[in-house]
Amino acid sequence: MGTILANIIAIYRRELQSYFLSPASYVIAGTFWLLSGLCLFFILLSPSSLISQVAARDQMGITTPPVDVAYEFLNVFLGAVGNIALFVLPMLSMGLYTEERKRGTLELLATSPITNWAVAVGKLLGVLTFFITMILPLLIYEAIVLGASNPPIQPTTMLLGHGGLVLLAGAILSLGMFLSSITSSTGLAAMLTYALNFFLWVVDYIAQGIGGSLGGALGHLALLKNFTNFTQGIFDTSSLVLFISYVVLGLFLTAQSIEAFRFQRS
Amino acid sequence: MIQVEHLSKTYGSTPAIQDVTFEVEKGEILGFLGPNGAGKTTTMRILTGYLPATSGTAKIAGFDVHEDSLAVRKRIGYLPETPPLYPEMTVEGFLHFVARIKGVSAGDRPVRVNMALKRCNLLEKRKVLIRKLSKGFRQRVGIAQAIVHDPPAIILDEPTVGLDPRQIIDVRNLIKSLAGEHTIILSTHILPEVSMTCSRVAIINRGRVVATNTPDQLMAQLNSGLGYELEVEGNAEALAQHLRNLAGIQSVHVSQVQNIQAGLPSDLPEADLSGSRHKLAIALSSSSDDLGRQIAATVVRGGLGLYEMKRSRVSLEDVFLDLTTEEKPPEAIAAIEPESDAPEV
Repeated sequence: MGTILANIIAIYRRELQSYFLSPASYVIAGTFWLLSGLCLFFILLSPSSLISQVAARDQMGITTPPVDVAYEFLNVFLGAVGNIALFVLPMLSMGLYTEERKRGTLELLATSPITNWAVAVGKLLGVLTFFITMILPLLIYEAIVLGASNPPIQPTTMLLGHGGLVLLAGAILSLGMFLSSITSSTGLAAMLTYALNFFLWVVDYIAQGIGGSLGGALGHLALLKNFTNFTQGIFDTSSLVLFISYVVLGLFLTAQSIEAFRFQRS
Repeated sequence: MIQVEHLSKTYGSTPAIQDVTFEVEKGEILGFLGPNGAGKTTTMRILTGYLPATSGTAKIAGFDVHEDSLAVRKRIGYLPETPPLYPEMTVEGFLHFVARIKGVSAGDRPVRVNMALKRCNLLEKRKVLIRKLSKGFRQRVGIAQAIVHDPPAIILDEPTVGLDPRQIIDVRNLIKSLAGEHTIILSTHILPEVSMTCSRVAIINRGRVVATNTPDQLMAQLNSGLGYELEVEGNAEALAQHLRNLAGIQSVHVSQVQNIQAGLPSDLPEADLSGSRHKLAIALSSSSDDLGRQIAATVVRGGLGLYEMKRSRVSLEDVFLDLTTEEKPPEAIAAIEPESDAPEV
């Protein structure tokens, strides 16, 4: 057990180090910050945005029902960040295994006394940590906006919203890691992950179209619907279970595919 | 230390290796010699547990490479064909990482890493990013990662490929210095490497081990004594016939020498066949005396011009070629040769 943990930490540290040393990851982070910054800007200042709508309502003297602007803002903003994440995360996960294949280091890992599981867990934790550092600056934006809110926002709402974002990222990264483990082309890995994201994004609409029990079952797979639960400050165990299932599924498939695809030349 | 028994591996329906059997004693260096695509890398990958074998068993230090994969992986160092390196890491950082995943305890790590750096002459490059290293240094880092955890068995896949002569000598000396305490298998298609570094050689061709022995004995096994090489001008085929009739001559091979005179292309119609130069490779049967006199006399009697005559000795290269080259059937040669010699119309 101790050695497994030590191995996970070794992989985790190396993975994290390569993210912080690679220019590509800064480009990805920069894109993410730029897009989320733009979202913030439009949510706050655009004429058709939430804030101006509420302001207009106030001017017209409509006060019922009362609107919790801070809460609405967080909901809309985190929803937008979640959409951006769907676009950015495949770029983080695409190289997880394809790069190892290209460099031949997969052969090093596969001939070291370390299990495929430990490698996969270490990698996922590494990339997830990098994503968490990517969302840290967003907290500053939010602090500036929400600092002005009265009454102040509920800490649990904040926690659930961001926790949901991390869970969403974990699910996508885990599945993206699996897709990068089955190919040696980084581009193909990214495309497959985008396709999967798109499917999990629209599956809710498909489910509504199908209806019935199959539709109901499909509807539960949707990422955004479950993510929205979190951003609205609703703690839903089934959403939590869904995200964790995606993470475990991704890890499991990755470990299995590395075992099965060993014979393929790197 | 390493026992390989009846190992076979099939990719789809193509066999990569068939019935490979050999053994390596503790402290030995076994050279795995074969042309490209003979199955060297496949065998090594099975030994390291990277690939499962289709049938047969391989054991390292008593552990089956498939059943006890983790135990085996702890006891081997492996340098694949391309050294597995993370370009964004420093040499030292990378070796620390490898030591960690190979299970070297935290207390031993600095010592082990230092030892590997020293052995591979990497001390002055320890803080350099791997990305910035030249090919020779990368190869050394590759060897360093294979020995950093002080494994009893080391498997090196073409360790000197792509290095300059100076570096090749360094790497060979390094490998030799590792023998004794470590058991080493190295693969190569470079022949002198084997005779220089290895205590035993396994020659592999088309997935089969065709010979296993010490380099000296392998040469002795095939050495049918002396031979001669001639370069003559005139009717070489007739000369070859005469020579074959001499007692004690095992075989005579005739090959044409490119016409170098005045840069004339040899396929010009006016090029006189009987006047062109030929090389003759003559093998003497092992029991015969030195036939140099008789050979020279035959050449002179035939009225041919003699441009070169030298004694030849069977080298490991000949052993290798002899074991790995399949002789063309005589009909096939007959069908090809007149055509290539005939002047173009």
